[in-house]
Amino acid sequence: MSHARPRVDAMKSARPGPTRTAPPRPPDGFPGARASAVGAVPPGREKLRSYLAFGFGGFFLMSVSLLVLRAVWALGNGEAAWSRVQASLQNPIYVIFHALAFVWLSWFVLRLFRLFPATQPRRIGPLRRPPDAVLVGGLSAAFVGVTLALAAILSGALG
Amino acid sequence: MAETQTKTIVVTRFDPDRDEAPRQQRYEVPVEPDWKILDALNYIKDEVDPTLSHRWSCRMAVCGSCGMNVNGEPKLTCKDPVTGYGDVIEVAPLANFPVIRDLVTEMEGFMERLQKVKPFILRAKELAVEAGPTRQSPAELDDYRQFSMCINCMLCYAACPVVANEPDFLGPAAIALGHRYNLDTRDQGQGERNEIFRDDGGIFSCSFANECSRVCPKHVDPAGAIQQAKLRNVIDWVTGLVRRREEGVR
Amino acid sequence: MVDVVRHDVVIVGGGGAGLRAAIAAVEADPTLSVALVSKVYPMRSHTVSAEGGAAAVPPGAVDDSLEKHAYDTVKGSDFLGDQPVIQYFVEEAPKELIRLEHWGCPWSRNADGTVATRPFGGMQTPRTWYATDKVGFHMLHTLFQHSLRFPGIVRYDEHFVTKLLVDGGRCGGVAALDVRTGEMRAVLGRAVILTTGGAGKVWPFTTNGNIKTGDGMALAYREGVPLEDMEFVQYHPTGLPGTGILITEAARGEGGTLLNSEGERFLTTRDYGVGTKAELGPRDMISRAILQEIEAGRGISLPGKLGQYVQLDLRHLGRGKLEARLPFVLELSRTYAGVDPVEQPIPIRPVLHYMMGGVDVDIDGLTAIGGLYAAGEVACVSLNGANRLGSNSLTECLVFGARAGVHASRLAKDTSAGGEAPLLEQAQAEGARLDGLRGRKRGGETVSGVRHALNQAMEAGTGVYREQAAMQKAVADVAELSRRYDDVSLSDTSKVFNTELTAMLELRNLLDVAEAVATAAVNRKESRGAHACRDFPKRNDQDYLHHSLVSWSPSGPRFSTKPVALGVWVPEERKY
Repeated sequence: MSHARPRVDAMKSARPGPTRTAPPRPPDGFPGARASAVGAVPPGREKLRSYLAFGFGGFFLMSVSLLVLRAVWALGNGEAAWSRVQASLQNPIYVIFHALAFVWLSWFVLRLFRLFPATQPRRIGPLRRPPDAVLVGGLSAAFVGVTLALAAILSGALG
Repeated sequence: MAETQTKTIVVTRFDPDRDEAPRQQRYEVPVEPDWKILDALNYIKDEVDPTLSHRWSCRMAVCGSCGMNVNGEPKLTCKDPVTGYGDVIEVAPLANFPVIRDLVTEMEGFMERLQKVKPFILRAKELAVEAGPTRQSPAELDDYRQFSMCINCMLCYAACPVVANEPDFLGPAAIALGHRYNLDTRDQGQGERNEIFRDDGGIFSCSFANECSRVCPKHVDPAGAIQQAKLRNVIDWVTGLVRRREEGVR
Repeated sequence: MVDVVRHDVVIVGGGGAGLRAAIAAVEADPTLSVALVSKVYPMRSHTVSAEGGAAAVPPGAVDDSLEKHAYDTVKGSDFLGDQPVIQYFVEEAPKELIRLEHWGCPWSRNADGTVATRPFGGMQTPRTWYATDKVGFHMLHTLFQHSLRFPGIVRYDEHFVTKLLVDGGRCGGVAALDVRTGEMRAVLGRAVILTTGGAGKVWPFTTNGNIKTGDGMALAYREGVPLEDMEFVQYHPTGLPGTGILITEAARGEGGTLLNSEGERFLTTRDYGVGTKAELGPRDMISRAILQEIEAGRGISLPGKLGQYVQLDLRHLGRGKLEARLPFVLELSRTYAGVDPVEQPIPIRPVLHYMMGGVDVDIDGLTAIGGLYAAGEVACVSLNGANRLGSNSLTECLVFGARAGVHASRLAKDTSAGGEAPLLEQAQAEGARLDGLRGRKRGGETVSGVRHALNQAMEAGTGVYREQAAMQKAVADVAELSRRYDDVSLSDTSKVFNTELTAMLELRNLLDVAEAVATAAVNRKESRGAHACRDFPKRNDQDYLHHSLVSWSPSGPRFSTKPVALGVWVPEERKY
């Protein structure tokens, strides 16, 4: 990944400066950034790791989408193809994968909810925006509730 | 409580006429408990090494001159207490900016980005002084006031991963400032600014790392401004397809 | 070789007055090219730190009038302000603040959307427009951002002007050090406006930022322009311990009270001449009252801090009002004094804040040198006389910055450029001088050593209370320090961003300003406004109703006077 150091032209100006400059240093929380001489671990490091995980999770989304595409294709290709796909999904590899994807996706959604209040303006029409804790709490509770309900329905516990 | 302690300040030095690349220099500084990092730097300059170059002025966290990376974190050094650190403190120039000398970084790129977002009231017709002040309710003022608090210290640029990787990205402070004008009831320039925001390097380059808001010493929340700008931009674009905005300034 | 750039108007200093002048010049004539030369980027100018508000009679005000604002200012100035200037000022003030509102300044509002006002010191009725408690910040950023609309304004950021280029009694530009490259640049123009602010860094305990080193005052002084009323320096009553960081007068405007060590609200229980105005009396009287309390043994000591303090009590305002009206005061107290004003009173003492005096100019901002103007704190018009009322100075920057900008633009339009050769020679010589200054070796003095000694000398001789003997000593001390300046050895030989060199240049400016202040002070044998002389405790209109002038000469500063322009109001006893 190119995140190891900033581009030499980061924050460049339209005109070249009149003296030689040293290249920009990366935000120190970046993996690959030069280790601190004092052994300091910048607080940003954890945040940036979480940010990268947030982004890299695109891998999970893409993989799940491909699997869904495969199933849809199979549906259109007759009973035998569909049964083969269903059988393949019982392989432990797929079960582990889907479990990991579920964990990651839940973390992704909850992290998204934490960022959500910042996207809202201070007032929506005449109404003031509710406090962040209310927005985040409400969305997270709704997500957990819907997930549990779906799980119950799909597993047959609920009608 | 009023005990002087000796700390080692490790300062990044760079003189383009002498140094190939930045190097580090260690200074022993007797710090007072109520000092900020800036006080330690000024002690070095006044008592130990007059060749150290750094920017500072107000020393009350409002002029925005003294932003630097301290132990890896972008900080406003006039506001950052020395007691928050151990015996060794690393002071480096602000990340993501080219370095002119020692702790002084190149600011022209930032100034250009500010200019690009048209950070002024745009109106179809200028108002005469005789018309008196326009009216703005406290709630309307409150809508944008937070985004008007930016002191241009550039800590947000030093923290942003996109600034590091996308040379044309407008960046947090510039976008927050543009958004501040978009939200001001006296402004009619949303159309123009939204086009700039939609452009390459605009608001959609932001991937919401939220580092900018985390380090902002004035709680401007530029990340919030950018995400709100994204939402408004899309809504305005859609409604613009449906009807023309006559108030838009050309 | 010196790089040469040519513009129509050259403005030195990019704060409130400078930006306003630049905008006024290009609005007056959009074909003009205006150079804005500043040693810092404009957002760093010290205007940014102003907190309380800007005064003007609000449009449609029922119980206020231009006359009342003018009278308050005249009385506040202890009758030394020039009344025609003050009349003009109060008329233009509302227009300037309205313009700023149109340009986007986030003035705080009443519930009905009109601009809010708050009470301020020495004002008989509330007329101070405010933006929470960061008016200077909002004004500066509004002006700077508005200035970005004009391609005619060309900025030379981080350029330190070291000399005015004057030939045949006319100023044709400036010699500016490009701090980044270390090269000299000649910025030529047919009119030059100085808007460089005051010189608080002459004193050790000041609200002023590092950049307030009196550069414009010294530049003009060295070319023979007199400095006017330099003895009048304002001590703001409420500065934080150690740092001297300003706690705005608005804290008192919103109801804050001053208490001594016994918890007594001394401005109401003892007679300090402020009458019922109490904490909202004029700054000179409040500062003296605080020091008298301290001298009487009713001050507080703080561990590790020099001097003694009294207390600014804001607790009774309540958290809600403090967070709504004085959020910056909360932040500053917590960060820099370790005190939460919601729970505890803030320790404060008088701190050097503003200079009423400055470059001698007429109402258009014109100095004795053709084509050279000055506006804002650097100038003495005189709006503020012997004492300035709080919230008048931000408006001053706008009103007189605009007027100087308009007049400079007219002059530039009506004048053809003179011969460049003599100006370029001067710039060339400046460049050579600086090349020789960088890293030079002389005696054992250092920049910071001489500066520190200057601070101590001026604190002793030109404090809130002055004595003839101490002032005379200050004059001698400054002369001695000027000799020590020539003995300073420098360490930094680099050309690129050499801040030891700029500190050395600033020190020269501080010494020149200090010379003028001390000379003017020792020659005013009365007490008036902010100049409180223990040897002559009374105001003496008979002999001293005049402006002081100090002019540079090779044999030392020369003192002279000029009359005050009186008007409707005759000097009377100044009681509140």
